[in-house]
Amino acid sequence: MPDIKKQDTFLSDLLAKETSLNGKSTAIKKLRQKGLEDVQKTSFPGRKDEDWRFISLRELYSDSYIPASQIEVTLPDISELFIEESKNARLVFVNGRFSADYSSTDALPEEVTLGNIADLSADGEALVDKHLNAYGDFEDDIFSSFNTAMLQDGAFIHVPKGMKVDTPVQLLFVQTDADEPYFTTSRCLILAEEDSEITVVEDHVGVGENKYFSLPVVEVNLERGAYVKHTKIQRESMQAIHIARTAAHLKQHSNYESYTITIGAKLSRNEPRITQLEEEVEFTVDGLVLIDGDQVSDTHSVMDHRFSHCESHQLHKCVINGKAHSVFNGKIFVRKDAQKIDSFQENRNLLLSRKGLVNTKPQLEIFADDVVCTHGATIGHLEEDEVFYLKSRGLNDHQARELLTYAFALETIENITVDSVQELLVDEVHNYTSRTLQNQD
Amino acid sequence: MSETEALESMVGGEYKYGFTTDVEYEDFPAGINEDIVREISRRKDEPQWVLDFRLEAFEKWKQMDGEPDWPNIEYEKPKFDEIQYYSSTKKKDGQKKPESLDDIDPQILETYEKLGIPLQEQKQLQGIAVDAVFDSESIFTTFKEKLGDAGVIFCSISEAIQDYPELVKKYLGSVVPKGDNFYAALNSAVFSDGSFVYVPKDTVCPMELSTYFRINNMQSGQFERTLIICEDNSHVSYLEGCTAPMFQENQLHAAVVELVAHENAEIKYSTIQNWYSGDEKGQGGIFNFVTKRGHCRGDNSKISWTQVETGSAITWKYPSVILQGDGSIGEFFSVAVTNNRQQADTGTKMIHVGKNTKSTIISKGISAGESNNSYRGLVKISPRADGAQNYSVCDSMLIGQTCGAHTFPYIESANPTAKVEHEASTSRVGEDQIFYLQQRGMDEDDAISLIVNGFCKEVLKELPMEFAVEADKLLGIKLEGSVG
Amino acid sequence: MLEIKNLHVVVEEDGTEILKGVNLKINEGEIHAIMGPNGSGKSTLAKVVAGHEAYEITDGDILFEGESILELDPDERAHLGLFLAFQYPVEVPGVTNKTLLREAYNTIAKERGREELDPLEFEDYVHERLDIVEMKPEFLDRSINAGFSGGEKKRNEIFQMAVLDPKISFLDETDSGLDIDALKIVSKGINHLAGENNAICLVTHYQRILDYIVPDFVHVMLDGKIVKSGDKKLAVELEEKGYDWLNDLASVSVNGEQK
Repeated sequence: MPDIKKQDTFLSDLLAKETSLNGKSTAIKKLRQKGLEDVQKTSFPGRKDEDWRFISLRELYSDSYIPASQIEVTLPDISELFIEESKNARLVFVNGRFSADYSSTDALPEEVTLGNIADLSADGEALVDKHLNAYGDFEDDIFSSFNTAMLQDGAFIHVPKGMKVDTPVQLLFVQTDADEPYFTTSRCLILAEEDSEITVVEDHVGVGENKYFSLPVVEVNLERGAYVKHTKIQRESMQAIHIARTAAHLKQHSNYESYTITIGAKLSRNEPRITQLEEEVEFTVDGLVLIDGDQVSDTHSVMDHRFSHCESHQLHKCVINGKAHSVFNGKIFVRKDAQKIDSFQENRNLLLSRKGLVNTKPQLEIFADDVVCTHGATIGHLEEDEVFYLKSRGLNDHQARELLTYAFALETIENITVDSVQELLVDEVHNYTSRTLQNQD
Repeated sequence: MSETEALESMVGGEYKYGFTTDVEYEDFPAGINEDIVREISRRKDEPQWVLDFRLEAFEKWKQMDGEPDWPNIEYEKPKFDEIQYYSSTKKKDGQKKPESLDDIDPQILETYEKLGIPLQEQKQLQGIAVDAVFDSESIFTTFKEKLGDAGVIFCSISEAIQDYPELVKKYLGSVVPKGDNFYAALNSAVFSDGSFVYVPKDTVCPMELSTYFRINNMQSGQFERTLIICEDNSHVSYLEGCTAPMFQENQLHAAVVELVAHENAEIKYSTIQNWYSGDEKGQGGIFNFVTKRGHCRGDNSKISWTQVETGSAITWKYPSVILQGDGSIGEFFSVAVTNNRQQADTGTKMIHVGKNTKSTIISKGISAGESNNSYRGLVKISPRADGAQNYSVCDSMLIGQTCGAHTFPYIESANPTAKVEHEASTSRVGEDQIFYLQQRGMDEDDAISLIVNGFCKEVLKELPMEFAVEADKLLGIKLEGSVG
Repeated sequence: MLEIKNLHVVVEEDGTEILKGVNLKINEGEIHAIMGPNGSGKSTLAKVVAGHEAYEITDGDILFEGESILELDPDERAHLGLFLAFQYPVEVPGVTNKTLLREAYNTIAKERGREELDPLEFEDYVHERLDIVEMKPEFLDRSINAGFSGGEKKRNEIFQMAVLDPKISFLDETDSGLDIDALKIVSKGINHLAGENNAICLVTHYQRILDYIVPDFVHVMLDGKIVKSGDKKLAVELEEKGYDWLNDLASVSVNGEQK
């Protein structure tokens, strides 16, 4: 059984499995090989690494994981997870493997490609060969190398030049219940050509209460004038470990809007990394984290401004209850000559419990003088004045606190344009607030 | 005095304190080992416990992995074997310490006069007691008697070790432990001189205390050690100034400063650091690696750090406060200016332990030339610090397009009743601002000086009056001609 | 006092021509008003006279007391006694009004061979000037324009003018953003400051301020040129008819130039 702790045996186990991975593309095979080599060159991180100093990966290292392909899949009815607007514009992956039965792409125009990376037409395959792993920027990162080494199925979206797709695409990653801890990797490649538009909802769901290790990597490329709205919902099992990377590359006049919602997993880590490749772009990297119990959520974001004229925005909100621990490390880079950057970053934390912990490190690194960069971080409780105000209007204490927590969280999701996703998240926020208020010490 | 006069008195952008004083030094071998540590202690005629303290620190230092690599600075590591760790001038007739001003080399007196700190009685600065430290030793301390009348002890740490061993023994290393970090351990092993201040209960120190540090010897490092203790209900304001000659090589200044504030006590510690910063190409300048920490031990005590950092090739400095007493207050006000090839990685740590503790951080970083200026701070709220509050503002200003400004705030809270607010911004001297001020009759340099001054106002107003003027001037000189 | 001759100005960055041959002569003791729609170039004219670097003069000249000032920096022009009340006064956080004014007053005094004032004398002088725009002394200790309302900023400009006592002042849209009471105060202040030995040039979009300050000359600016000059009646006429009725005039003159 592969044991992450013992990196050597774990890797040789992987090597043994490598031949069993499917896919006809030789390019993908090469990538996998490269991933394997990279994994061997790097080691798993620990607390001494600055990027991992705030959290312990003991949760990850304390177990052994078998490949998801080795577990028996028992799937309950998952149709309730389907987003109404994405009817027939949906890819479903179960434990990392593409499920043709649940997927449907009929709603999309013919010119748009939506399909499994491992099973594309010749044109699609050519695009994948060219673009896959080209936007990662996760050098020396063992987790993304690991993902590449295990490359198998994955979601591929290609929106051709000038095509504006109204139907939001849902990428649903379902992790099933199992007796043994398993690991699963998933991959998405989103290519938005010039002046195209697309909305993607990336949804990770655990249907059981079991422990597993999910390791998704998402790459997005925006050509000139492209507009991609990307919502990621992480509602893995409460025992799961979710370590994810999302990278986006932006060319002139493109706009990338991303919202990451963290609800599930015992240990989760998100690493959005936005890179500006040409002048005049816009992007948003908002996030909402709702955690309780012994959940740990860590967001490490990089906003890399390399050229002039960029507007970027990051509002990252966390609500922490129980013994939960929230980490935010947001880096804003403004490289030399990247003038006229207007970058805003704010991390606001609502710490509700005595045992909860918040670490935040908003970080500015500026090498250009004509820029407006601001960041802020706050950690606090609900304002007692506000609670009092609501109570004076007739709400009881519980209602007042729930309403205020709800209002705090809502700000980060109100810009999500897919109605049913917004409704879903509003429900999740409700569930969370009523649950946490009951659990409060 | 306002900015106006400060600006008027601005002359040339050059470093004014770069001269050397030609004095004779006693021989002392370069390099570091146990024998050197013993020899320093022997020359200073120290009691055994001080030697033990040094030796233990040296052991710890030897076992360390080397210099910390996390700061955002790049430099050639000092060659610890080539540094001279003790540098004392030759004395008359084997005297250890000058008994009176007559015993001091007139050249050294002249040096201090040139630096604007005359030590002669008739010329002494009014209202400020001065301890003058020249390389490794304290040369003279003014107003000792007057302070003694109020019960305040103000002398060099070497004298304090001889005269008040119990006090020193009780507090030395109690805030910054021997093995706290690489440079603190080195300092604990080889520390030379610095100031000792003890303010007894219920006493407001009748005058400002200040130490003026001067590095003169090209081969030597300076290992300042300062200890300030304020008993219950007492108050002291202390200032330090630093300058050094211009040499092609780098000199090391590795200081440890410990402050202890008991119940209701208040310590205000201000620094104007104007060590030689190296030339335009980054040749020479002081490496300034400093551990400064205050301990608010008693309830409702207060420690306030104010610093204006304009000099040094490298600055690595995080004056911190451990807020242990309930209701204690920590403050950090900082202006850090870097120009040419200077690098500064500076900030503070506010560790909230006690209930209802408050801290304020105001940091203003100004980068020009090809310099890099980083703010690095930690605000930590421990689980039992109910009602703790922190407010931080870190603003950076960039002048020109070849410099960098960095902000690394670490914030941790484990208490839901605490409130932490941090904000930071980056801006520049706006062309519209310059035009506006020019239209009102000011030339470009004056306009920039005024804008920078306004940017730093919140910090500068924290300085004692005498230093505020000095700081104003420094800022102007530092940035002269850095635009266009 | 000030003479602008055939002034042609382009924006330095992109070469767009804003002023296309402006001629204007202002003598001591006169009040002029330059009116025109948005984008006609009137604010640019004020900034160019003050020496703003964003503009390049391609032709023509600006003479102050007979000497060309084109080569002078903005501060040197200020030293001569030229003042611009900004349309959008700039904020300078941390620097108080008093600091700025004393610095500016004494620099200009020195340049003009007047006596500099020591802090106490300046204090008296500045308080007396405060009354002109009915401002409270607290105002002096606030940072320049930081956190001021739009109206306060405009009053502050006139206050600075009162302190610096310039020979010629361009007041760029000083009336915009003022409520009626503030407009009256500001106008009163300007009237108070106008005298035999100085000159004022109001740059404005609306005729409103001219109800309170009576100009000797009114000029209409369209498309980078002064297309019509007259007395205060012209302003009233503009108020009634708008700027459109002059458009033909602009194109005629442009055509005329092309021939």
